[in-house]
Amino acid sequence: MKIAWWKIAGIVLFVYVLIAGIGIPLKPGITDVSPSQLKVGVSKSIQITAYNTHFLTGGKTRVWLKREDNKYLEASEVQVNTENLLQASWSIPVQLINKEFSIVVHNAKDGPFVVPAAVVVLPDSNSASFVTPVNFTDLTETDLKRSDDLRFPYRSILNETIRNTFFHVALWMAMFVLYLIALYHAIQYLRTGKKEHDWWSVSFNRSGILYGILGLLTGSLWARYTWGGWWTNDVKLNMAALAMFIYFGYLLLRSSFNDDEKKARVSAAFNIFAFVALIPLVFVIPRLTDSLHPGNGGNPALGGEDLDHTLRLVFYPSIIALILLGTWMAQLRFRIIRLAARKKIHIEA
Amino acid sequence: MLRQWVNCIMWGSWILFFSPSSAMAQGHDSDFLRSTGKIYSVIAGVVVIFIGISIYLWKIDNKLTNLEKHINDEHETS
Amino acid sequence: MNVGRISAIIAKESKLELRRKNALYGILLFCGVLVFLIYKSFNVLKGLEWNVMLWTTLLFCGINAIAKSFVQDGAESRLYFYTLFDPKEVIVGKLIYNYFFIFLLFLLVYLGFSFFFKTSIRDYGLFFGGAMLGNFGLAVIFTFIASVSSQSEGNQGVLMSVMSLPLTLPVVLLLIKITAVAMRLITDTSVGEDLKMLAGIDLLLTGILLLLFDFLWKD
Repeated sequence: MKIAWWKIAGIVLFVYVLIAGIGIPLKPGITDVSPSQLKVGVSKSIQITAYNTHFLTGGKTRVWLKREDNKYLEASEVQVNTENLLQASWSIPVQLINKEFSIVVHNAKDGPFVVPAAVVVLPDSNSASFVTPVNFTDLTETDLKRSDDLRFPYRSILNETIRNTFFHVALWMAMFVLYLIALYHAIQYLRTGKKEHDWWSVSFNRSGILYGILGLLTGSLWARYTWGGWWTNDVKLNMAALAMFIYFGYLLLRSSFNDDEKKARVSAAFNIFAFVALIPLVFVIPRLTDSLHPGNGGNPALGGEDLDHTLRLVFYPSIIALILLGTWMAQLRFRIIRLAARKKIHIEA
Repeated sequence: MLRQWVNCIMWGSWILFFSPSSAMAQGHDSDFLRSTGKIYSVIAGVVVIFIGISIYLWKIDNKLTNLEKHINDEHETS
Repeated sequence: MNVGRISAIIAKESKLELRRKNALYGILLFCGVLVFLIYKSFNVLKGLEWNVMLWTTLLFCGINAIAKSFVQDGAESRLYFYTLFDPKEVIVGKLIYNYFFIFLLFLLVYLGFSFFFKTSIRDYGLFFGGAMLGNFGLAVIFTFIASVSSQSEGNQGVLMSVMSLPLTLPVVLLLIKITAVAMRLITDTSVGEDLKMLAGIDLLLTGILLLLFDFLWKD
């Protein structure tokens, strides 16, 4: 028996995606800084609540205020309460009034992490004249040594749901590839008239439709827990919905023929026309609205730099795994149709 | 018979999984799917994918069963 | 392809249309009733709503009008055409005829809308220019889908609308935007880009229609 290596590859990759995609922890991040302003005076403290950090066990934790020009002011005292909670205090002289600072936290295990524009210095009536020299320092690479652990980036709204990249986003990519393969077979059918191309085309389209439905479901689940609604007026979401309508139309069209040859011919033509007719939408819609998805409207999802290399390590295998699994399901369908045709049994294809 | 059972289990698990989230859908941090950095919404997504693929495979399976029945019938008659 | 033969098809289509007067009157009546229904439902309609309703009404009238352009020729007349004409001539003839028909419907719907509601179009050149381009895109989509659904044995009316409505979205979105600019609801200095894009869509759709119709016409 021929070993279908690609099916095994699909399974292995999918298992890898599940394990790595859920198992690899997130980078540390700061969820809350309170209060968000520092008054002038001696040993003013703020409380930092963080996520996925090791303040107690990760080596000495240091905290700095960072000015725009990359000058750092180290906290005079850091009191660690739990792994995720600490209090840092500074003596704030009067010359820092109305300056805005980022907060940088570092320990050996977690590496450095930053909250941009976290605090602002305000005057305080009691200690209005508190003047002391400020010891700004420049930090070196060794001070802010990065952690070597393999971790996914932390984003404040997304949190752990950044892992949906491997499932939701990869699903769309795989769907698109499956539709493209189906389109290729539709074109080949019209050129050669071989029935096999029609069978492959409909099988791949059905796998694509499955992925489309799953993409919509996982997408609305994700949207519910990040943007707060099941459905949003978002470009990519609505384009996906439109594509679903068209492919359902394709299935409806196929079901309304008795003659197989005619069915294959007409549905292949419709498949090609619909695909081409929707391409302009990619250029039209950006001219009309803004998107929540990557690359639009300052969204912290995944554009360019956001898709960092640790995400890629799982994201690309996930796309390949889903394509392979989709192809597998398409092949099952194809073989059923072929068997029925050989035995001259009529089934809905 | 078996088909009904499986449908029952599928829909049951679906409802079980999503009822707590829809009951508390008003957006509090206490929401189960929001706890521990929203990790459970990721798990829910994976479960959705798994259930979806299972249903799809189930449908293909049915199709194949029908086909087998047809082929067997033909064998008997000829 | 031959201009004389194409015009013969156009002439035949319009003769058929005029001969089957009740079908033609049916479409016109449908448009009128739709416009009146919208008038009575809204009473006051202006701005963006006017714009969107105008194009939606045209979509529904257009679907109804063009759906019958293939359905009404029976199998015999199709065979007759097949022996006489090249498929490209048939489709170009039908497309031009459908374009004129849908443009007529557009004028009708527009007149109805400006009769019942106050219109606020400032830039008529832009409005009608956009409408001419957009109507052509709609005509291409409807013609193709009509020829697809006429081949099926099922419920052709439902198929026609289910398959063509999603495809019209790019054209309709651009039309709504261009009309909004023409009504000065929004200001956009790059509206020329939109017109170009609409023309590009028309070209693309026409090209793919000509390519694919050969396969649909085989019988």
